[in-house]
Amino acid sequence: MRLLFGAAAAVALTFLALPVLAIFLRVSPTTLVHELNDPVARDALVVSLRTSALAQALVVALGTPTAYLLATRRFRGRNILLTVVELPLVLPPAVAGIGLLAAFGRTGLLSTSVPFTQLAVVLAIAFVSAPFFVRTAVASFEALDPTLIAAARTLGAGPWRVFVRIALPLAASGLGAGLALSFARGLGEFGATIMFAGSLQRVTQTLSLAIYAEFARNFDVALAMGALLVAFSFFLLLVVKWLSFGWTSPFRSVPSSSA
Amino acid sequence: MKLLAIFAAASLTGVLPQIDRAPKFQFAGSDQLAFQITQGAHADVFAAASPKYPEQLYAQGLCSKPAAFATNTVVLVVPRANPAHINSIYDLQRDGIKLVIGAKGVPIGDYTRTLLAKLGLPSVLKNVVSEEDDVKVIVAKVALGEADAGFVYRTDVKPVGNKVFRIAIPAAGQPTVKYEICIPTTRQHPKLATAFVREVLSARGRATLRTAGFGLP
Repeated sequence: MRLLFGAAAAVALTFLALPVLAIFLRVSPTTLVHELNDPVARDALVVSLRTSALAQALVVALGTPTAYLLATRRFRGRNILLTVVELPLVLPPAVAGIGLLAAFGRTGLLSTSVPFTQLAVVLAIAFVSAPFFVRTAVASFEALDPTLIAAARTLGAGPWRVFVRIALPLAASGLGAGLALSFARGLGEFGATIMFAGSLQRVTQTLSLAIYAEFARNFDVALAMGALLVAFSFFLLLVVKWLSFGWTSPFRSVPSSSA
Repeated sequence: MKLLAIFAAASLTGVLPQIDRAPKFQFAGSDQLAFQITQGAHADVFAAASPKYPEQLYAQGLCSKPAAFATNTVVLVVPRANPAHINSIYDLQRDGIKLVIGAKGVPIGDYTRTLLAKLGLPSVLKNVVSEEDDVKVIVAKVALGEADAGFVYRTDVKPVGNKVFRIAIPAAGQPTVKYEICIPTTRQHPKLATAFVREVLSARGRATLRTAGFGLP
């Protein structure tokens, strides 16, 4: 039994690690660093960082109050709202892309001129990554010890004060973990972006789009950008582990007082 | 069951299945398909929208000697509603136009850049809002009305004729658009592949191509 499980684990881990390792083994580290100096790679990195930062700012600013309400209120239709929040997690990116076009496209519901702009990239990233933050934030707020909140209320703290002084600090590590997950997912966004925002160097071409644009043209540059994303994602997932001490699954449970 | 794998330029999406419905087709940018073949993809036939990639593969010993089988012309398309009021290629110089073109290396992207250079209009490139991987995506974004204009092949217009207007390009700017076909060395079904190529080059194949709007070499 131990042998069997060990063998299965070895196969699974090798399978998961191999493509990632292959990116780093195919060319030397110096080549990787050198290829990152390619203008396409540099521009893509700037676009990715800018749009991801903006998108995550948006996600945190709007997602935190949303998560707090969903976590602390019980009302009819709450499950429906939670499902709406979770939906982008499982939607194919292509569906997100046509959805964003149908909503924000020039011929869409709101008929905006957002497509092909950097804002379109921000919206695409926010749409696909927000559930990672909100879902984790809801879990963190739900895990707060209700007696602490009740004690603060009886001691005269208003709802705003309870939120800022009690709920936020206690849920902070969970929120941070959610943000790191959301950030990591946003960096990898591809399908919705290429459909909704298009692909243009310096404007809408993120790292993921640049990898796709370059892989047939200059494989080493694509590899270098891939390596950068792998390293960064690895770091972000480690951050999630540190912040959510004791977690095994991001959506399973949340420690009540790791802050 | 023997199924031919045909790797073909996106602009051949409509016409090749009319010549032979049986194979499984993969339509994409010719540059991507060529790259896949260099990576060992099992393509029985490679039909590209430019001689560049078949000739490259041939030079590397990765496919048979390419044969020209069709020609095409580049046109400008705008959405039916024509939101940017574009009536000629020269209108593309105005600021604020959302122009979608093919990426560099994608045949339609290279033809577009050649054409703009020939007409002395490189400044038009400042209005490019997106560079796409194959011509069908350009067609889609114009037909959808999201882009103000796009450069595509003449043969791409017919399937979306009720959604876009076609604007002709001065003959002086027209690049030579030639399609070439070859049999990669990664082929699995050499006999069927040869038969398919022969069919494309046959009188019936040529008639089908002509009906779809292609020119013949």
